[in-house]
Amino acid sequence: MVIKRLKPIWAALAVLIALLAVGTKADAAKPNYVISTDATYAPFDFQDKNNQYVGIDMDILKEVAKRNNFTYTLKPMSFNAAAQMVANGQADGIIAGMMINDSRKEVYDVSDPYYQSGVAWITKPNSSIKSLNDLKGKKVALKTGTAAAAYGASLKDQYGFDIKYFNDTDTMYNDVVNGNTDATFEDYPVIQYAIKNGVKLQVRNADNLGKAGGVGFFVKKGQNAQLLDQFNKSLEEMKKDGTYNKIIDKYLNSSQKNFVGNASDNKTTLGILKSNSHAFMSGLWQTAELSVAGIVLASLFGLILGVMGIAQSKLIRGISTTIIYIFRGLPLMVLAFFIYIGLPGVLGMKIPAFTAGILTLILNEGAYTGAFVRGGFEAVDAGQMEAARSLGLTHRQATWKVIVPQGLKITVPSFVNQFIITLKDTSILSAIGILELTQTGTLIVARNSQGFRVWAIIAVIYLIVITLLSWFSNWLKKKIA
Amino acid sequence: MSEEKQVKVHVDKVNKSYGDNHVLRDISLDVMDNEVVVMIGPSGSGKSTFLRMLNQLEKPNSGLIEVDGYDISDPKTNINKVRENIGMVFQNFNLFNNYTVLENITLAPVQLGKMTKEEAEKKAMELLDTVGLPDKANVSVNSLSGGQKQRIAIARALAMDPDIMLFDEPTSALDPEVVGDVLDVMKHLAKLGMTMIIVTHEMGFAKQVADRVVFFESGKIQESGTPEQIFTAPKNARLQSFLSKVMQA
Repeated sequence: MVIKRLKPIWAALAVLIALLAVGTKADAAKPNYVISTDATYAPFDFQDKNNQYVGIDMDILKEVAKRNNFTYTLKPMSFNAAAQMVANGQADGIIAGMMINDSRKEVYDVSDPYYQSGVAWITKPNSSIKSLNDLKGKKVALKTGTAAAAYGASLKDQYGFDIKYFNDTDTMYNDVVNGNTDATFEDYPVIQYAIKNGVKLQVRNADNLGKAGGVGFFVKKGQNAQLLDQFNKSLEEMKKDGTYNKIIDKYLNSSQKNFVGNASDNKTTLGILKSNSHAFMSGLWQTAELSVAGIVLASLFGLILGVMGIAQSKLIRGISTTIIYIFRGLPLMVLAFFIYIGLPGVLGMKIPAFTAGILTLILNEGAYTGAFVRGGFEAVDAGQMEAARSLGLTHRQATWKVIVPQGLKITVPSFVNQFIITLKDTSILSAIGILELTQTGTLIVARNSQGFRVWAIIAVIYLIVITLLSWFSNWLKKKIA
Repeated sequence: MSEEKQVKVHVDKVNKSYGDNHVLRDISLDVMDNEVVVMIGPSGSGKSTFLRMLNQLEKPNSGLIEVDGYDISDPKTNINKVRENIGMVFQNFNLFNNYTVLENITLAPVQLGKMTKEEAEKKAMELLDTVGLPDKANVSVNSLSGGQKQRIAIARALAMDPDIMLFDEPTSALDPEVVGDVLDVMKHLAKLGMTMIIVTHEMGFAKQVADRVVFFESGKIQESGTPEQIFTAPKNARLQSFLSKVMQA
């Protein structure tokens, strides 16, 4: 009977698989490149008030594409993931305010530098730390993988400070603003942008910036030589015809309002909500898609693992136990990175972020589900199986007709709990650049630096959705029980 | 006359042990068609284990078990087919909690393709009449009393048209006042000529219904015979001691 009720779920499953299978079709006439970027690195890369990706990098890339008649698919995510994508061949190139250094040249081929950056070191305005010597014994925040971080780390022993690493710029700034860490190192234009935006930090070495070298466009070593060549040539032309200066000017010397919108849109919760309503909605929608697909597919996978866990064959039981052991043991984020960034390098095929995200949820949440489903089946009195078998039913018939319906009933509260956990766990998938609710928040904060208000809004949205899910689950619980 | 009768169950030198615990030692027993065999003995004597071996809910370590002519100690025998002809009634009823009374009775015949749903339901209604519960067809099994549950369990086993019925202490979990209802159904079955093997502590029932009484103790059949022989002239000292204890109470 329960099986019959599951029919709509099978239909939903078919629709989901169809959705997953739909890829992006490129314009056949022009070459199309996949370019990854850091989603939160203003003024090089960020989302403007209209949720468009803009910045020095974006404008240069757009111009290069136009001049060389190619199209590109942009993949904005965390910097590390973006760089990994190129190293693995998941993306053709990365433009992300990325510093040129020797170790990177071993993995990538790089363009001529398109910007010469200097590294600033930064504290709170009223900090007692006035010189690098004052950093002795203090904590310094650095963003992983950046040239500023490498520069900062190189001074660690000389000045005797401790380092705390972060994955995105705004969290790092906030850590300093909140006093958890005492100072940070960052590319000068990046911190300039943030300070203009109202981040309460102060640059200590504006006249004496650390030498970090140039910023370049990177492709995987030995590949996409033509793309690199086109980039260099167009950059040269753009410098000559003034386009380059216009771009730099646009981001470093013009009013913040152009990108961020009016102060009223950013300094009040209602203003933020209104001016970003589209972004919030689309983030929410993505979270909902991930959650529904994740919940349905992970439940099915868990059900299969649970049934395998009470199979007659020792081998099948062993397989179930092993799968549960592995995927319950792996942190969700590690699994997501492994599938999205690690696996394609081995398999030699690209996995879209959404697919990788769903796969992560199926394996991880499915393993948890499988464990409690098996427990539920095992909790059914052994006499039920004996009675069914004594009538001549096969082990399989007895399992599906007698054990599964009773076992599932026992596990309904665990399912409800797992649904809510799955919904919350979708936020971890922001790490691989899926534009769900959490990543949406990260992008908005990167632009307007209003961490408290934006995260409060995001938190409330999550609570509302989880409340709705709880209501739905309780309704389902009553219907089944 | 006995030569015309068929051997329904043939057990030869069966042994069973759990680790060091030797539960059954060299048990041999034949049960004829239409015979009612009642197995008595103290708890832990091995009688339930023996009964459960007859439909392979337990597997012997050695020895031969033939039921209906099938060697069920042979792993190549399709045990599911053999079980279709062996009904079993458990001490704890083991009705399927996820089904109604009617569904409990029709599940196996329909699933195993023995009957259509309509045929199975018609048959189930007849069986509910037989066990005296015709008005309980559509109730949930959880709403039944113990005595009612056990009568439904008998009906469920009968729905497969078995030619042997195994009863594993069918009245031990029941309140005293409903034991009679269940025993009445069993007596009725015996009258109809069903081959029955019954583990029970109901000595009165054994006297009345059994063709043969078998006394188990320490994993062995110590004595067997007609109810008169067993209850009025027991030879085995352990049987005498056992009877003196149970008859007092």
